[in-house]
Amino acid sequence: MTETNTSALEPSGDPVRVGVYVCHCGGNISDVIDTKAVAAALAAHPNVAVSNDYMFMCSDPGQALIIDDIKANHINRVVVAACSPTLHEITFRKALQRAGLNPYLFEYVNIREQASWVHKGDHEGATRKAVRLVAAGVEKVVRQDELFPIKVGVEPHVVVVGGGVAGMSAAVALAGRGLGVTLVEKGVALGGRVADLDRVYPTEERGADLVQDLTRQVEGHSRIDVRLGSEVVGLDGHVGKFAVTVRTSSAAPDDQDHLVRAGAVVIATGFDHYKPAQGEHGFGESPAVVTLPDFQAALRQCPASRRGLQVNGRPARSVAFIHCVGSRQIDGVHAPQADGKVNDYCSRTCCTATLHTIRQVQSRFPDVDVYDLHKDIRTYGRGHEAYYEDASRAGALFFRFPDEEPPTFAASTGGEYAGTVTTRDILTWGEELEIPVDLVVLATGMVPRDIASLIDLRKLPVGADRFLQEVHPKLRPVETGVAGILLAGACQGPMDINEACTAAQTAAVKAAILLANPTIELDPFVAVVDGERCDGCGKCLAECEYVGALTMADVEQAGATVRHAVVNPAMCVGCGACAAVCSPRAINVAGWTLDQFDAMVDAIIAEDVGALAHTECRAGVRHIEFAVISGGN
Amino acid sequence: MSPEDDLKILIITTMISSYPGANTVGQARLQYSPGTFIVRVPDPVMLPEEFYLDSFAKGIDGIIIMSSGSDCPYEGAYPRLSKRAGRVYARMKEQGIDTSRLKLTTICTVCKAAFLKEIREMQQNILKAKAA
Repeated sequence: MTETNTSALEPSGDPVRVGVYVCHCGGNISDVIDTKAVAAALAAHPNVAVSNDYMFMCSDPGQALIIDDIKANHINRVVVAACSPTLHEITFRKALQRAGLNPYLFEYVNIREQASWVHKGDHEGATRKAVRLVAAGVEKVVRQDELFPIKVGVEPHVVVVGGGVAGMSAAVALAGRGLGVTLVEKGVALGGRVADLDRVYPTEERGADLVQDLTRQVEGHSRIDVRLGSEVVGLDGHVGKFAVTVRTSSAAPDDQDHLVRAGAVVIATGFDHYKPAQGEHGFGESPAVVTLPDFQAALRQCPASRRGLQVNGRPARSVAFIHCVGSRQIDGVHAPQADGKVNDYCSRTCCTATLHTIRQVQSRFPDVDVYDLHKDIRTYGRGHEAYYEDASRAGALFFRFPDEEPPTFAASTGGEYAGTVTTRDILTWGEELEIPVDLVVLATGMVPRDIASLIDLRKLPVGADRFLQEVHPKLRPVETGVAGILLAGACQGPMDINEACTAAQTAAVKAAILLANPTIELDPFVAVVDGERCDGCGKCLAECEYVGALTMADVEQAGATVRHAVVNPAMCVGCGACAAVCSPRAINVAGWTLDQFDAMVDAIIAEDVGALAHTECRAGVRHIEFAVISGGN
Repeated sequence: MSPEDDLKILIITTMISSYPGANTVGQARLQYSPGTFIVRVPDPVMLPEEFYLDSFAKGIDGIIIMSSGSDCPYEGAYPRLSKRAGRVYARMKEQGIDTSRLKLTTICTVCKAAFLKEIREMQQNILKAKAA
């Protein structure tokens, strides 16, 4: 079991003294907002002891103002009104820390991106707004607790789930950084889908060679333990201390389950190819209609000979490639998938994969007539456009069909060709074309692999496209909402080999950073229970989606045993779903309490900052610190 | 001061999507009324029904919840928020509060036009209701 949080009210006895600092940001703010007037208005707040404006608060002299006031004027809360907190929140927290103040006794008010820059024509209005926003910041910070990072003991080992190129890349990168790795692969061999490919774009290397090279690195590394024919059936614990149960079905019955302790988990379970529905462009009804992966396999086995291109024992003199099969589907045009939704996302890789395949056909079988039927050509990667240009120069004919009118295929009986593809071509002003073909190749997209059992183990977030979801593609790529569980490759969405390996390296680096020290420091913004207020009703528990984050437990309190909610800070994600249903407000997210939000609204409404009540913040500072979490599950 | 600027509209934003979205609007120097107050939260699912009702009672004219929608990184949070908003609407009706004063929407980090549209619509709705 893990140790649970400790929180205590430690009255400091010191009066709450807030320092307010309004930044000019050169003139970015002060050209619109009267920063002196804002500082003067805030000086009237009963809790504000110092209120100043300054040219650049983020500069060294600006930070020194704060540090000096903390030391000389006994400021014990700080509000900075400046640019976005995404830029300098950490800068100012560190300044507080250098002055000996808890870095979380700080509030950042954005009066640049969300005031001066968006109200340029209304200086008075922008200034009035800034006063209210800064007053709200003051009201929030006077109710702020002293917070400390959550410290979690670390297991310097990572479980990588999936032995394709992404999983193997991640494993090699992690092992190279000194971490132990258990690589869990469901199949009987490493390599995943890349092993099925002949040549890969844009390097033209053989898929088998890539896999062989990576496999050699994986198998030759002493820190990587490969478990083939295995899957993850248990995933308990939390970042730094996961307990992962790996089941190998082929092992002896009493030796199938193997417990691995790991600090992080990288999921690299890949994707599945879309399987067209029966009758979709003639699929399943005629042997002349195949998918792109099947065609690539057939092409690999077809020797270059005078007989020309042969697929499934039949000549293919005229081939039509149809893009966007199973991708960019439209409600009402395409049949929904099993979950009732269409695949409206772009599979991203199939345009280049199709054109790359067309180039292979053209170079090996120059007599074959090639037709490319697309909605758009999306060859977005470096050098990918060359496949389109080369295919065009080599004689491929390109037709652009309307979104709502995909091409159709009709098999012929006894004709010269296997059938006819009919399409409307936007490029010739909507002309309807009939193309005689021996073969139709459907450029099928990627769909999420069925990993429901793995998802259920930790309620991993899944996006609207049913792929695993990262927290944010720019701000927190490859991270899931569960700390310590990272994504690598196409399990999070369609991507090519290059992108999958880049994502894998990213995941490996993030895991390595997490596990670089004996303890991890996590943000303290997690749920905290006030034992004196908790009545043990358990409503919060019903709201929590994260297994193990919140439990009910009997605890000793004032000489009696009482039942109340207990948070495991390493497993809580800080969403606050629990806080919303707690009538006595016994559970709150540290740093984001409901009392703080109420007070902020009061300040926004108030006509006079000076009339806001003086707050002594429960006669002191609540000091929320968690014990180092050292145990595993 | 225009009638729009005299309103007090609370905009609840999420740290991961709509708060950076509001920054994007600022970086583009797109203009909107100063009668808008952006509040940053980890996720709006943390705010109880009473928060909205109390805010209206205190004098907030309108509240726009700019959630992360289906992109929300917290499992189950958006469905819960959506249901909660439904219950708040029901209670607003019971209490005779115009339901157009509350809007649950989704704003991403680059949803500039949608961000401005939501503010404009909320202001128009409130002013229309006040005039009626």
